[in-house]
Amino acid sequence: MKIAGRAARPPAAFFLAAALTIIWTGAAQGKSTPIDDSGTQALEPAVSLRWKSPRPTRSGGDNLMVGTATIRVRINVLPWVRRSGRIYLVLPAQQPGPVSASWETQGRFMPGQVRSGNRVLVYAGPITTPFMEDVFKFQFSVDGNLVQRAFPLTYRFEMDEG
Amino acid sequence: MHAMPTTPGTRSGTMQADHRRYGRAGLRRELIGAVCLAAVLGAAALSGPAAAYTLTLAPASPKTLYLQIGVGSFTANYNAGGQPGNNTTVNMVSTTVAAGAVGNGTPQAMTTDSTATKSFLDGYAYCSVPGQLYIGGFYRTAGGTTAAAQVTATVPAALTNATGNTIPFSKIQWTSSGNGDAGAEPFPAGTFVNGGVQNVGAMASNTWNESCWTFSYLNNTVPAAGTFTGVVRYTMSSP
Repeated sequence: MKIAGRAARPPAAFFLAAALTIIWTGAAQGKSTPIDDSGTQALEPAVSLRWKSPRPTRSGGDNLMVGTATIRVRINVLPWVRRSGRIYLVLPAQQPGPVSASWETQGRFMPGQVRSGNRVLVYAGPITTPFMEDVFKFQFSVDGNLVQRAFPLTYRFEMDEG
Repeated sequence: MHAMPTTPGTRSGTMQADHRRYGRAGLRRELIGAVCLAAVLGAAALSGPAAAYTLTLAPASPKTLYLQIGVGSFTANYNAGGQPGNNTTVNMVSTTVAAGAVGNGTPQAMTTDSTATKSFLDGYAYCSVPGQLYIGGFYRTAGGTTAAAQVTATVPAALTNATGNTIPFSKIQWTSSGNGDAGAEPFPAGTFVNGGVQNVGAMASNTWNESCWTFSYLNNTVPAAGTFTGVVRYTMSSP
């Protein structure tokens, strides 16, 4: 009777092993997972780019345009709660060309800077809450010679587990 | 007893006890399975809508052009935060040819009433007066890889005197230099056309451009006596 019953239903260990296998496989591959940031809000509708130095030089080359934006970042880290992870801010390479971003935070995430095509660590440690929030004060820099019109700039957060 | 286990409600106390234990275990297994599956599905579902955040970056600095020929106006040197202003002064470049030298083919140096010697970029003493006329400015714009701003001169056909005699404008030429300069000038040497619009230089975007012009009258013809004047208007045009 007990033997027959166990044979009729998969053992608990099977479910647990299966589930752990799926989860563990993801971590073992070192996969970076994009984080849902649909709760993020920008406090300004657009970033106004202005000359970092209003004056040109005789030789040129001082053509950096800068703009600032305050963004209330809210990322959904529920899938990683009670685990540890490393969260990166990713600024993909994109048009119209190289863009740099630096930022300050209120402490939940680390301040930093990144150039497009790269990512930088903004958090490492245990994930204890379903959502992580902070206010990022970004400064973006781009060669003014590349900026002929308004352009979109995309960044994302991604999670490396473990 | 052992043949009746699949008939509920007929178990002995022992069997019922066993059944209850089994039943709880089975429920627990199912819950574990459901929870684990939900966790996996939940992770997949939550990672699904993950998005990137997109901002719009828009150039806000206005396109700015500044052209100065002769004297100009700045609130202070540009590198000290000065801003350009409007100066309506029309400077003169002139020469007086001695009677014995008229038409002898020896170019006559011209001098200016302009007092502009320093660059408003940084105060550098760039030109020397009265022998040189300052020309300079800048073209500040985003997306500057497109084209340079052009500077043109609108030239009358001739200089005229009070009685209507003329000297062709092409009798006036200029060289270009600047203190400490080496290499090509943004506003190179040239000779006026006899009426029309001619290009006298260009300003690449986001650079400060300046030269010092030294004018001369060719003096290779013999015009009527008199004071001959003409006005050349310079225009800067951006793409």
